[in-house]
Amino acid sequence: MNDQGAPDTAASAAGVDEADRSYLARVRAEIDDEVRRRRASGDLTPQTESELEQLFLRHAPLGSTRQELHEVLRLVDAAAFIDPVVPVESSRPGGAAIKKGVRSLNFWYLRFVTHQVSKFATATSRALHILDQQLSDLATKVDALEVPPSVVVDVGFAHRTDAWWVPTVVTELEGGRRRVLHAACGDGWLVHLLAATNVDSYGVDPRPGRVAEQELGDLDLREEPVLGHLDAVEPGALGGVVLSGLMEGSGHSERRRLLESATMALAPGGVLVVHSLTPARWDEADAPPEADIVQARPYRPSTWPYLLGELGMTAVVTPGPDGRDYLVVGRRDAAPPRSR
Amino acid sequence: MGGAETAARQLAEHLTAECGWEVEVFTTCAVDHITWDDVLAPGDSVLNGVTVHRFRSASGRVRQFYEIDGRLRSAPGEASKQDARTWLECNGPVTPDLLDALGGTDADVVAFYPYLYYPTVAGMDVVSVPRVLHPAAHDEPALYLPVFAATYAEADAICYHTAAERRLVQRIHRVAQVPQIVLGLGVGEVVEGGRSGGEILGIGERPYVVSVGRVDAHKGSAMLARFFQLYKQRHPGPLALALVGPVAVSIPEDDDIVVTGVVSEADKWDLVRDAQVAISPSALESFSLVVLEAWEKSVPVMVNATCDPTREHCQRSGGGLWFGSFREFEVVLERLSTDAGLRRLLGHRGRAYVETYYQWPSLIRRYARFLTTVTERGPRWTRADI
Repeated sequence: MNDQGAPDTAASAAGVDEADRSYLARVRAEIDDEVRRRRASGDLTPQTESELEQLFLRHAPLGSTRQELHEVLRLVDAAAFIDPVVPVESSRPGGAAIKKGVRSLNFWYLRFVTHQVSKFATATSRALHILDQQLSDLATKVDALEVPPSVVVDVGFAHRTDAWWVPTVVTELEGGRRRVLHAACGDGWLVHLLAATNVDSYGVDPRPGRVAEQELGDLDLREEPVLGHLDAVEPGALGGVVLSGLMEGSGHSERRRLLESATMALAPGGVLVVHSLTPARWDEADAPPEADIVQARPYRPSTWPYLLGELGMTAVVTPGPDGRDYLVVGRRDAAPPRSR
Repeated sequence: MGGAETAARQLAEHLTAECGWEVEVFTTCAVDHITWDDVLAPGDSVLNGVTVHRFRSASGRVRQFYEIDGRLRSAPGEASKQDARTWLECNGPVTPDLLDALGGTDADVVAFYPYLYYPTVAGMDVVSVPRVLHPAAHDEPALYLPVFAATYAEADAICYHTAAERRLVQRIHRVAQVPQIVLGLGVGEVVEGGRSGGEILGIGERPYVVSVGRVDAHKGSAMLARFFQLYKQRHPGPLALALVGPVAVSIPEDDDIVVTGVVSEADKWDLVRDAQVAISPSALESFSLVVLEAWEKSVPVMVNATCDPTREHCQRSGGGLWFGSFREFEVVLERLSTDAGLRRLLGHRGRAYVETYYQWPSLIRRYARFLTTVTERGPRWTRADI
């Protein structure tokens, strides 16, 4: 609320935006329901369904590169019906009549053959659909066992330019000639600071909307999953990777993958910086809500030299001033990156 | 020429006009991206403040292209480098004179647009100043050919049209660390002619939906016409479809479909303004300015669900709906044509999106600042690194 007690404009706009989005999601759901209802009604002939589907898919990138089974199945379904009614259009005078005559003479034969081919194609398609369904069921079961994707833990007292660990990070990274990545970068507070000290840096944040407005500015900030981003980095390309708010919010296997990918992305001599809360902070009454949600506790500071040592790095751990957090600075050795 | 060439031209002209930059263009004499025949005169000229150097092509697309393209299409990622290089050269235009001139440029930065052709792939190797790649990439087999891996890897910076394009490129090429920007294009000046859309189309007061752009099978126009015909059979009424743009595919005659051919800018804006809905049926867009132009006039849009960039526009803005089959097309169009409140909401949200992200003055200044930082950073790779 503002001084006059009127709703704050930004908050109000956000509320309107939320209401619009929720309404549009409802519209989309209604459209999907109606599409399902009409599809089930069977009000189009198989020939027409097939023709329309082939027309739509002809120039669509489905299945060509993304290789999604259910998308490729649409191609199979669209081609499963073999039409015995051969087109008779012709650009030559009388051509259409001749073709029509030939079609009539051969129709009994063509219909017999195409019926069998269609039957085979439909049976094959049906088998593939069952396979797809079974794979989907399996995927659902596996999803239930899967560790939830990592979340970014907002740590207000530590994710700011005047936090105790930030000067160390700047010192470690300045003077390098390769780029530095900060994840999760939020509004780009650290990227901005690093850029001001001539460190060529950029940021990635997986949280929707966190960098949307900042993308219009001059900083290189992107809304992307961190692991996906690191996996798309050329091995050995980065001079530094700073991970803040990420280790606490992820499970063991995801932490491991994050660290492996970050290490791969680093050039020999590159620096990996990890800021993390301590396990003690995780147990406090006012700990972040993620403390109850994620499947792992923050590592103890003493675990890091062992962990990074396994990845070919040397690590130095600096505890924070009040025991709530700590900083890990790892340096990649000069050996070439290990392949995954 | 296509959207990428138009986009390059717009960036060049706005950089010159609004930022005072000196921009030189190195290009071919072609006007057709299939044959690459030399049609325009080679030499230098100034067009809207931009110096244009045109060069003849040694070869355009050759017959062998279709054979090799067909062979590599099914598994492009597994093509040999040699085959991929042959594909590139057969696709044309092979431009040795252009490359010679480019190698001697005194520019501070060189922007290449789009990734798909020989001048970009070979040109990246001949310049020693920072190189900015504008991929204009679609999810197409060519993107996976190994000949382009080096092109992406050597870029000092990348300028994407949309985040969807960035995701696509990063899925295939490991270039996430390269400095980049998601820029897009601005909506041009709106020049209305003061006529009603119905008057231009000759359909009086009938409501209509519009699709602006090349009327081409590859752009989904034939599919749209067929879907619309069937829609009208199942939902009789006054609604018409206007296909506006150069015609490259014949559309069956139909009382409900008007094919205008090329129209003036003023007529185009009048047609878009008065449409109930603008439809982008193409699955292969890397940006789609026509979607943004519809939103500029607060007109809701329908896009092809398999086209990630246009779908991303709709999802981010809340300004449009998408269809992935005839069934969806039918239900979405029926809903939009009968629900004025929904149309208003989508149009309003689309317009806000365009105002935030795609106005030329702010967009071109952002691009200029980006190019400045790329120039200051210098070439990423020295010759010794390569």
